[in-house]
Amino acid sequence: MRTKLLVMFAGVGLFLSAAPVWAHHAFAAEFDSNKPIKLRGTVTKWEVTNPHSWIYIDVKDEAGNVVPWMIEGGSPNSLYRLGFTRDSLPVGTEILVDGYQAKDKSNRAVGKNITLPSGKRLFLGGSAPGAGDSPEGEKK
Amino acid sequence: MHYRPFAFIAALVAIGGAPVFAQSPAAQSPAAKAAPAKKAWTPPRTPDGQPDLQGVWTNNTATPLERPKELTGKEFFTETELAENQKKEHARVENNEEEGRPTQPGTAEDVHYDFSQYALDRGQTKLVWNRRTSLIVGPEGTIPPLTPEARKRVAERAAKNKGHEFDGPENQPLGARCLARANVGPPLLPTAYNSNLAIFQSPGYVAIETEMIHDVRMIPTDGRPHISKNIRQWMGDSVGHWEGNTLVVDTTNFTDQNPFPGAQNLHVIERFTRADADTILYQFTVEDPGMWTKPWSGEMPITKIPGQLYEFACHEGNYALADILRGARVAEEDAAAKKSAK
Repeated sequence: MRTKLLVMFAGVGLFLSAAPVWAHHAFAAEFDSNKPIKLRGTVTKWEVTNPHSWIYIDVKDEAGNVVPWMIEGGSPNSLYRLGFTRDSLPVGTEILVDGYQAKDKSNRAVGKNITLPSGKRLFLGGSAPGAGDSPEGEKK
Repeated sequence: MHYRPFAFIAALVAIGGAPVFAQSPAAQSPAAKAAPAKKAWTPPRTPDGQPDLQGVWTNNTATPLERPKELTGKEFFTETELAENQKKEHARVENNEEEGRPTQPGTAEDVHYDFSQYALDRGQTKLVWNRRTSLIVGPEGTIPPLTPEARKRVAERAAKNKGHEFDGPENQPLGARCLARANVGPPLLPTAYNSNLAIFQSPGYVAIETEMIHDVRMIPTDGRPHISKNIRQWMGDSVGHWEGNTLVVDTTNFTDQNPFPGAQNLHVIERFTRADADTILYQFTVEDPGMWTKPWSGEMPITKIPGQLYEFACHEGNYALADILRGARVAEEDAAAKKSAK
């Protein structure tokens, strides 16, 4: 039974097409798997749009120059259903972004893991510690 | 061919809950005709006397469209197995284990944002459960094979586009272009996230709005015929009529690009039956003799959710398409530079 269920879940991702459920477009066509990035920046803007939200951050490079980046994220609709709003990511919030840079080499990236300095995941707290941080988390 | 209505306990559950759909494993033949549902529950009526299907609904489910090979011949889970499945799904979400297989850093598959971060994991919003092992009904539970002619046609299309996927926007998938999505169909199929729809009724019309991707399908119920065969539309052309408490929708006039690329004469029949206050039983039959060796049918309960649809304004922030094409141009320049450097 256990095997069956494990296998069932291997199959559930395949809805209509054989593409992974998240690919309305190929992320790998937009971002480069050979260009992993790790950024630490402060939020300057959060575009709460579909199909993808974008978090704009200012990142200080080694020389102390401020370099703006755009981080691609997910559709905000479900976040709103959980009670988040466009004010849930205030300007000035420091975030850490673990992801991949755009194929066109611009300062855009897809944020695979985005956390607050405390280790708490952005929006949804997850299992990492860090009470009292903004933005809001732990909602379900 | 007649369709036997089955008794089911009408309660939709969020993860880890409560009473679930129980279905008698009666013979499930393609839903070409239905006997009127003999239920104690009478649906409310709209002001003009139609059964009321209105509201905001979700068809978000963990049940796949096609039955996994390992479950061939098994059309239904037992109650115990279903409870196990629900527990596993709940545990998966709790542990933030992504749907599908885990990905290795540095691989193409790893390139995407964390879905649950944005509450886009299907387990983070209301899930529809029942004992079926697939949406497609019947002993096989899979989409039938393509006809030899269709196989050839589909292969030729793929061959034509090969190597040209990034020539321009027209070579990219319809979803990436925000033009159409397979989940809209018809048939209405679950999609990865925001798998919600709203139904509106007014005298002579039923309108179905799908959140993904902000499409509205207008279904006239005044008995008019289909539009001319020469007109093809992304969602086809739907006409509907009532059979007892069931809305029967007949759709033709699809393009050959959506929802089943290659199908040139797609015909979809849907049935919407309000089973109780929180449930619509949704059934569909898909056929195209020029595409599949036989028709195929599926069904699932869809459940009411509170709140509203949110506008998925796909075009609004679709930087991705331009980024993808720009990335391809940069890759080409790099490749050309490498070549000339040799």
